[in-house]
Amino acid sequence: MGNRLLSFLMASIALGGLAEAKTVIHVMHQGDPGWVSTYGEVAKRFETANPDVDIELIYAPHDAYNEKFSAAVMSKQLPDVMELDAPFLANYVWSGYLQPIEPLVDKDVIDDMTESNVAQGTYPIDKELYAVGLTDSSVVLYGNRKYLEAIGARIPKGVDDAWTREEFEGYLEKLSKLDGVKWPIDTFRGYGIKTEWITYAYGPILQSAGCDLIDRKTWKSVGTLDSDPCVEALTMMQKWVTNGWVVPQSSGTNQFFAEGHPAALALGGHWFYAEAAASMKDDIVVMPLPKFGPKGASPNGTWIWGITTASEHPDIAGKFVSFMLKDKVFRDYAKEDSAYPGLKSFAADSPLYADGGPMAVAFEQASKTAVARPPHPAYPIITSAFMGAVDEIFNGGDVKAALTAAAEKIDEDIEENDGYPPFDEQQ
Amino acid sequence: MTLQQPALPATAVAARPARLRDRGRLFQEVGMLAPAVVLLTIFLVVPFLLSFWTAMTNQPLVPRPTPARFIGFTNFLRIFKDDLFWTSLWNVSRFTFWILPVQCGLAFATALLLHQKLPFRNFFRGVFFLPAITSMVVVCVIWGTLFQYPTGPLNQVIGFLSGGRIEPIDWLGDPNWAMFSIVLLSAWQAYGFQMIVYLAGLQGIPDELYDAARIDGANALQRFWHVTMPGLRPTHVFVLVITTIQAFKLYTQVAILTQGGPKSSTETVVHYMVRAGFEEQKLGYASAVSVILFLIVLVIALVQRQLLRRFDV
Repeated sequence: MGNRLLSFLMASIALGGLAEAKTVIHVMHQGDPGWVSTYGEVAKRFETANPDVDIELIYAPHDAYNEKFSAAVMSKQLPDVMELDAPFLANYVWSGYLQPIEPLVDKDVIDDMTESNVAQGTYPIDKELYAVGLTDSSVVLYGNRKYLEAIGARIPKGVDDAWTREEFEGYLEKLSKLDGVKWPIDTFRGYGIKTEWITYAYGPILQSAGCDLIDRKTWKSVGTLDSDPCVEALTMMQKWVTNGWVVPQSSGTNQFFAEGHPAALALGGHWFYAEAAASMKDDIVVMPLPKFGPKGASPNGTWIWGITTASEHPDIAGKFVSFMLKDKVFRDYAKEDSAYPGLKSFAADSPLYADGGPMAVAFEQASKTAVARPPHPAYPIITSAFMGAVDEIFNGGDVKAALTAAAEKIDEDIEENDGYPPFDEQQ
Repeated sequence: MTLQQPALPATAVAARPARLRDRGRLFQEVGMLAPAVVLLTIFLVVPFLLSFWTAMTNQPLVPRPTPARFIGFTNFLRIFKDDLFWTSLWNVSRFTFWILPVQCGLAFATALLLHQKLPFRNFFRGVFFLPAITSMVVVCVIWGTLFQYPTGPLNQVIGFLSGGRIEPIDWLGDPNWAMFSIVLLSAWQAYGFQMIVYLAGLQGIPDELYDAARIDGANALQRFWHVTMPGLRPTHVFVLVITTIQAFKLYTQVAILTQGGPKSSTETVVHYMVRAGFEEQKLGYASAVSVILFLIVLVIALVQRQLLRRFDV
């Protein structure tokens, strides 16, 4: 027994010594099970190509990613490579967690990035690139062809002839009276009330109406988020909910293609296409987001890859990121997921988004109407405050009061952090 | 966080004068106490005092380029100014108001039932205690599917029994129902613990009292009212206080099922604190909330001690 234990110890010491010789790169990511196994395969292929490197994947669930990340920062366990949600980039860079990525990844990857992909990875203060991604994202309006024909709705050809607010609300009203339609629209309340989806998908409605979450020059929210156009826009959304036009939160996120197609329209992310199209085939229509005011607006930004300041081997970390973004299997899985191209070469082999492809409208939005979420270190508070206001409003609360409270909360936090220098010097 | 358990009556240790021949004895005592005192200090007292200190600063969750600074009672003033905090306090009060009769009543009823000499008594004790040892997270996920709107099992049953006359209820999505739904599942999950306490209390009442009552000609109801109830007085107080303190710390169910919504109708003090600390990364602010929660629980514990004294326990 003693001998066996001894030899076991010897073996483990020997193995430990072996692992020691390799460079370990920690990669923190989120994603559904399919993505998790895809990352595992990418890591294996990279290790085969680079026998002296050991890739350690750290999985953190999507909904608690920020909390997990904060815990990693506090325990001084920052990974080398981390996936991050684009709107949080400003906060991470300002806090000093990320290093400029341009010198670390292959030049052909950088040159391959679309404009909106560069925008989502850039920190506005020093104009440096801190993160790269294979993909970007957008939200479009999906429609059920049968129902739209039944009410005689006009199908927009592109972003320029998107529905106006009057048309859109008129159609909602007509759809609500149509047989077979239980809810005219799904805005994906089923994702929950504390989810980035709310700011991501509903924010553009504010920008289209002519206001914003926060003034991007003075970085003040009072006077912007609680201004009349915003109050008007959210009063409009509140009306949709109280009229019973919107799929309620407790009914899940599949009412658009569920048995009997109870929801006629869906204001959904690009990732929703794969699932919906699989079930509805040709009955699905992809349209640009309606114009709620003078101009159209659509969201952008997704989960992209950055390299942390804690990394002892930034060059190898960069090598891994470049390897992953070019990896064929990784790209194939992204394509299956109807991923939205952020690299030109990836767009070229995504017929979905090419001219004439079913999702071409979404790609067109990226260059014409995309508005990034406010790139400010206070973003965690901005989004959290807005989520709270939307929950209050959708459940019949006073719109003006809810938005005022949210705006004050945002300004209070920025004040408390002395304006997050250097952001305060922009005024 | 620094949530205190209710103070148990400490057994007073008679302090001995440390005379010379008692010195060895004193060393022994100190030596025996040391591990507990050290551990309690490191893991309870120090964090507790730290949270008092943190509450007075604008400390963020993760270190930032701008260092945290002392801001006095600003956090507390902000909390008292925040309607959401008062809403969360009101919500846990509502929750407590409902959970006490429902959960303790259920526990008491089942304890009385299982105290009878029934066949399979021990089997049923085990069965009724099962939810209490099931993880609350698991229970929440299961109940979440039961509550589903409009086609969840619960709504199906109600629809069937009422012949379709009662419309399906959006249990977790309707501000009027959400807290009640959480009361239901919480009571179901946790009443086993109170049931065990009541069973112990019932077993502590001497049989002689019942025999004497029978000889005096008391019927079952009178025996219950004049023997069982007075005998259970301390148990009642203990159960009510423990349940109240637990109710004030409501968090798991809310975090999993409603995230404080809809319309903040299920926002609780602990959930508010966790959100401020982790989502909005305001550690100082969250510490201030935890200090307030501590004071509330402390008051409940003090009232408990007064009540216990009154019943000479």
